[in-house]
This record gives sequence, structure tokens and C-alpha cells, in this order.
Amino acid sequence: MSDVLTSSPALEARGLVRRFGRTVAVSDLSLSIAPGELYGLVGPDGAGKTTALRLLVGLLTPDGGEARVAGAVSHAAGGALRASLGYMPQQYSLYGDLSIDENLRFFGDLFGLSSTNFRERVAHLLGITQLTRFRDRRADALSGGMYKKLALACALLHRPRALVLDEPTNGVDPVSRRELWELLYTLVDEGLAVLLATPYMDEAARCHRVGLLQGGRLIAEDAPAALVRAFEDLAYFVTAADRDAAEAALHDLPGVRALSPHGPGLRVIVAAADAEAFRRRFASADMRWHLEPTAPDFEDVFLMRSIDAE
Amino acid sequence: MSAPVLARFSGAVRRTRAIALKEFRHMARDPQVVLLALAMPLVLILVFGYGVSFDVERVPLVVVDRDRTAESRALARAFTAAGTFDLVAVSDDEAAVEPLFRGGHAKVALVIPPDFQRAQGRGDTATAQLLVDGTDNATATIALGYAETIGLTLTQRDLPRGFDVPLRAEVRTLFNPALRSAVFIVPGLIVLVLVIVSVMLTALTVAREYERGSMEQLFATPVGRVELILGKLMPYFVLGLMQVLLVLVVGVYLFEVPLRGSVALIFVSASVFLLAELAFGLVISIVTRSQMVAAQVAAISTFLPALILSDFLFPIDNMPPPLRVVSSLLPPRYLVHALRAIMLRGNGVESVLPDLAAMGAFFIVMMVIATRKFRRTVA
Repeated sequence: MSDVLTSSPALEARGLVRRFGRTVAVSDLSLSIAPGELYGLVGPDGAGKTTALRLLVGLLTPDGGEARVAGAVSHAAGGALRASLGYMPQQYSLYGDLSIDENLRFFGDLFGLSSTNFRERVAHLLGITQLTRFRDRRADALSGGMYKKLALACALLHRPRALVLDEPTNGVDPVSRRELWELLYTLVDEGLAVLLATPYMDEAARCHRVGLLQGGRLIAEDAPAALVRAFEDLAYFVTAADRDAAEAALHDLPGVRALSPHGPGLRVIVAAADAEAFRRRFASADMRWHLEPTAPDFEDVFLMRSIDAE
Repeated sequence: MSAPVLARFSGAVRRTRAIALKEFRHMARDPQVVLLALAMPLVLILVFGYGVSFDVERVPLVVVDRDRTAESRALARAFTAAGTFDLVAVSDDEAAVEPLFRGGHAKVALVIPPDFQRAQGRGDTATAQLLVDGTDNATATIALGYAETIGLTLTQRDLPRGFDVPLRAEVRTLFNPALRSAVFIVPGLIVLVLVIVSVMLTALTVAREYERGSMEQLFATPVGRVELILGKLMPYFVLGLMQVLLVLVVGVYLFEVPLRGSVALIFVSASVFLLAELAFGLVISIVTRSQMVAAQVAAISTFLPALILSDFLFPIDNMPPPLRVVSSLLPPRYLVHALRAIMLRGNGVESVLPDLAAMGAFFIVMMVIATRKFRRTVA
């Protein structure tokens, strides 16, 4: 039995389609997440991340295709789905006028936890989220990070097999953000399948596998490192105090595919085939800025894949 | 019942209870709501009990006596004797009436024509004119009624003895002998209070979950639609019954409203009404998904019928047929009818069964709509 369970995906989408009026929010989305895998759905705002997650957790009915959580069809929204799924929406969705304890109690009742099981889970979850001290505090009096941890604890009460998080670090300070990520790694190590949506590239790079979502389509999917390795262009860093002037001058050089401000200068992506010509022109055009090659990162990958897809 | 069914049922009960408990907590954390829910009935009953009175007394009257005979004076006396009318001016010129009406000093004028006594002596119909300020419709109507009675009695009294009395009017008011307004206002008031506070609050609760985003989280749990609906109804149901109790206690002790029937039956009727109206509030909430819109819709669709179409202030029998139909489709009139029957006439359950059935049917229809419209999806 357990062999079957571990070998089958915890979360699965096959050809999901969802339209809102004339807009196609999610188009032919297929993905599969194994137990113990941390999958990041990355894309800019409006790419269809939230719609994709809502289709997976059964909050939206697909116009085409099918989503399954631990084998249960999502849009049928049956008991098996609820039992194996933990979901944390992007919005604040707990009750601000209830305390941490009362919120947990409420969700514990809804999930039908026995009282011993409930006590054990609450002790464990409050321990790992370091919220034990604040049990009596109202949820609306918690910081952004603490609130998200509480929401995470509520979503994990019933030991789901799959956890779906919509932009979990939205509005969370850097320290809490790191703590949340450490928590996620712990949970994944315990065999939980985690799907999270994020607009942040640095967060995407921390996932086992990422799917790049653009205009409702999955334009690339792999381990972040593999995507970076497969990157065919070259990345350069141009140190320039007068960034606007540098951008204007560099814009028309051969092979330049993208320019983006970055710290004290510009990040330049150049097509590999034109790299030689680019460097020659940069040297001869009497550019007063300093040019150096740099290692492509995940953000470059995402940027170029997006441009290629358009 | 097999074990799995039983387990499923106990799970449903537990989830319903969890929702209800959560709603109670919201209420407790927001004491203004409870305060409003309990202060509102008090304010309303005081306003309606003391302020709104349909007992027309001391209507300012001006008498224009152009006959100046024993008969004309007798008629004027008959009008002023009862206490219904208060003589504020006597004149022999009709022109005096209009300024008095305009200034609000008089509302009714009795104009006795010069040939009043002569006409009566001849055995003709002696006509006196009654002028009524129609701007105050309610007072005017009731004053007219009183005037008619006075006129009729006077006619009878003056009929020569030995004649067959063609008509003998004997009015005896049953159940509310003094015709005190408070007595028939209290049942209507219960209806009004229940829809204003309970329905409004219920209409806000589901919309609030949608607006706060918590509905998305709720839908990801095993909670069922019926569980959610029933759980949300419960606290407001309890609050509503507390309001009924409050209005009853104040009505009985402060306004001496009689309680002739069974108190239990009053609460049974109020409960059925509450369920019907709360389910209606939920339908509003589920359909609008916005607290703003829900509040507006609730106010219009529950408050107005409770006030206007319930027989509380305006008799349904006098309404045009379309309004009568609307009134018969909504619960308020049934509770007003049932409460008047129980409280004032002391009727038993058999006389209010049709009312209970009508309200129960409304509840079932609303529950069906609520569960149908309530989708476990966010769009």
C-alpha cells in the first residue's frame, strides 16, 4: 500500500484549462509533484499562479483537464481531498478576532481531530513555528511572519500529504522568511509534497523543481540549477554610475537581448553567437564603463525564457 | 444506523458546533453587536409604545354654529362631551376654519348650517358638515369614525319614542376593550425587531467571510455547506429569541400587554419565523457576497415587508391585490397573525398551525436556495 502511495504523485494536474470570460487564465497546465518534493510555481503577477493553485485544491472548477490530490479529483471536492490537502491562501484567511488557540481549535474541529491527536499536533506545530508563547494572542495582533506561521500550522493540523501555499512570504520580514523556508524544508524532508507560488526568483531558486508560468502557460520546468545550466546566453555586468546613459548606449549593441538595472550597474544578457561581436563593439565604441562576465542566475533564466515565449 | 454513518453524523455535528462557537466568539469580541441587538428592541418598544399611538384623543375641534338653536348646540355638545374632541374655538363664520387649520390649531371643524333645527323639525335629513384636515391622514380617518358614531347615537336618541328603531349600533370591542395601541403593537414589534437585527446580522456573516478571504480557507476544510449554514444560523437564532423575550417582558410589564395564550407557543412561532428569516438573510449574504450590498438588500427586503406588509401598522385587507399577494409570500404577516392570536385572543396551537406551516415552507425554500447557491468555489 505505502509503495503505491509513495510512487503515485501527491499533486497532479493534467491539461488544466480555466477561462474567465474571454481571458484564459490557465492554459493546458500539466504538472506532477512527488511526496517529499518542493515545487515552485514562478511567474509575474497575473501569470495565473493563484488560479492554477485554486484549480489544484478544488476551489475552482476547470474548464478542461483534471487535477488530483493524492489520487482524489480536486473539483469533486470530496472528503478524501480535504483530508490529504493543506492549503494556505494568499489573503489573510484566519479569524483576526480569535486567538491562536481558538483558530487552531476551530480548524481542529473542522478536520475532526481527536482531542489527544489535536493536543499533540498543536504542541508540535506551535513548537516548530515558535508560537507557543503567543497562544492567547489574537491573530490580528500577530506580525506578518507570525501570522503566516499560524496559517501554516492551521493548514498542517490534519497531517495532509500535500501542502499548497500561495505566496507564503508575502508581507513577511526577511528573518521570518528564512524561518518559514527552514520550516518548509523540514516538512518536505518528512515526506510532505509542497507546491508554492511565488513571484520571487530567489525563492524559486530554493525549490527542488520550478515551473515557469507565463500567461497561464508553463513555459519551462526543471530543477533551478538545471535551468541555469541550460541557459544558452551570456551574462555580463556593467558597472555604471550613470545607468540611464549606459543603458541607452548599450541598447543597440549587437547581440544584446536584455538589460536590467542591478545594484551599481546593469546586467546585460547577450546571445552567445553574438558575444564576440558585442565585446568588440563595446571595446571600440569607447565605452567608459567597466564590463565583466558574470555567472547567469535564475532570474536571467526566467527573464530570457519569458522573452522567448512571447 | 451503521457505524460509518454514525461517525459521519457526529463529525457533521462537531463541525456545525465549531462554526456556531466561532460565530458566538465573533459576537462576544464585538460587544457593540450584542448591545445593538438588545438595545434596539428596547428603543423600538419605547418609541412605539409611548410615541406611536393610534388612540385618537383630544382632536382640536372648531365649531361653526350658524343655526344657534337648541338642536345645533346639542350636536356640538355631543361632539365635545366624549373627550375625543377638544373644543378650541367657536365661530359663526365658516371663514374662520381655514386659518385655524393652516395654523394647526384645529384639525376638525363641525359646521352646522342655518336651517339645521328647521330641517330636523320637518323630519328631513338634517345635515351638518364635518371638515377634516386631511394632511394628518390617520387622525382624520379615526376622527371621522368617531364623528360618525356620535352622529348616529345622536340620531337614535332624538328619534321620537314609539318609532321602530331602524338601526341600533352597539359596538363592543373584544380582546382589546380599551383599544389601546400598545396591545396590538407588541406582536408587530416582535416581528420588526427580529428582522432588523437578526436578519441584518445574518446577512452580513457569510458576506464577511467572502470579503475577509476566510471563505477560501473554510472551503479547503471538510466543512459542508449545510453545516456551515446551520452553524452560522445558530448564534443569531439564540440572539433573536433573547430579543423576543425582552420585548415580551417589557410589553407585559410596562405596557400591560395581555399574555392570554401559551408562552411556549409564542416562542415556537417566533422560532419558526426566525429560522425562515435567518435563512433568507443567508441567501442574501450568499448571493451578494458583499457586506455593503447585503445590508442594503436585507434592509429593503425584510424591514419594509415587516413594517408595511405584515398587518402591523396597515391592514392587509385594505391593500391592493398585488401587495396582498406579496404579503402572503413573506413570513412577517404570519407571525403577526399568530402572535395576536396567541397573546391577545389566547388561541391554541390549532389556530396558528396555518401560520406555522407558511413560515416553515418559507424556511425550507430558503434553505434549498441557500445550499444550491452556495458553491464551494471562489469564482
